[in-house]
Amino acid sequence: MAGAAAALDYDAELMLRVKDGDGASFGVLLEKHRSSVVHFLYRMVQNAAVSEELAQEVFLRVYRSRATYEPTAKFTTWLFRIATHLALNALRDNKNERNQERLDDDTSEMPVRQVSDTRPTVEQNMVYEAKLAEVRRAIAALPDKQRAAVLMHKYEEMEYSQIAKVLNCSDSAVKSLLFRAYEALRARLAHMA
Amino acid sequence: MKCPKQTFDAEHLRECPECAAFASTQRSVSAALDLWEAPPVSADFDRKLYARIEQQQVAWWDFLVRPFRPVGGPRWLPVAAAAGLMVAVGLWVERPGETPVAVPASAQVQALPADQAADALQEMQVMQEFSNLIHSDAEPRM
Repeated sequence: MAGAAAALDYDAELMLRVKDGDGASFGVLLEKHRSSVVHFLYRMVQNAAVSEELAQEVFLRVYRSRATYEPTAKFTTWLFRIATHLALNALRDNKNERNQERLDDDTSEMPVRQVSDTRPTVEQNMVYEAKLAEVRRAIAALPDKQRAAVLMHKYEEMEYSQIAKVLNCSDSAVKSLLFRAYEALRARLAHMA
Repeated sequence: MKCPKQTFDAEHLRECPECAAFASTQRSVSAALDLWEAPPVSADFDRKLYARIEQQQVAWWDFLVRPFRPVGGPRWLPVAAAAGLMVAVGLWVERPGETPVAVPASAQVQALPADQAADALQEMQVMQEFSNLIHSDAEPRM
């Protein structure tokens, strides 16, 4: 089984070591995927505290499942399947609470824009914040599954086949989801060029 | 899109304004999405996670005796106390001759029927005679 995992991917091999009681390998997996999982969840739920809580639950589930882990798919596919499942559940549970207020209120969570040459002027900052808010609104307006597909495609650079496995649907269904999602985003964001 | 090709290689984009416009807007969308940087992960993310993992790894017996553990006391004390209690119960149950006798539900003596009483008296008399006989045989002969 270990040989098959190595052929599959290095992460799966690390996970098999975790299964054998090697806690350090779990640390390596955490270090490698922590940011991508948290960032994916952040863009899904658009709340930093909730995204970190959900990401902890993701890694906790990974650790709890170590005894029964079998490398039947890429490790990241499994990881993002757990993350997507938790995110979709959180979105469903908070559907009624989600509103524009949160988009406007958590500007403190936004990272400070790094500009290497000169410091941005107040006006540039305002334009940037306005554009950013528009992007966030556009993403938030997408149906949950389309949003997950776009985030995995755009920010995690996943291929259609892997997104399909994460979302448990066909490749053509993913293409359809992405087509509709990008169409909606084009309608809202194309003017920002 | 009306273009039957709908391909985005450079050559086609030079020839087809419709696909070129589509590709341009798609690039704009991609650039807009690039604006959205996620905040850095909290510094104590790992610490919180490992604390949760450790919390879940507490042994089942530790979980059971936790409410009875004295504050600040040694961790082994409740386990030792529980083990001692089990040994004591085991010894008490296993002691021969000390098994408590079942107490009758009622202290009242039920009177036997007359015929049964007569039979019992006769049996007692026979046993007494039998006993006397044995004892008389056991006496040393003079």
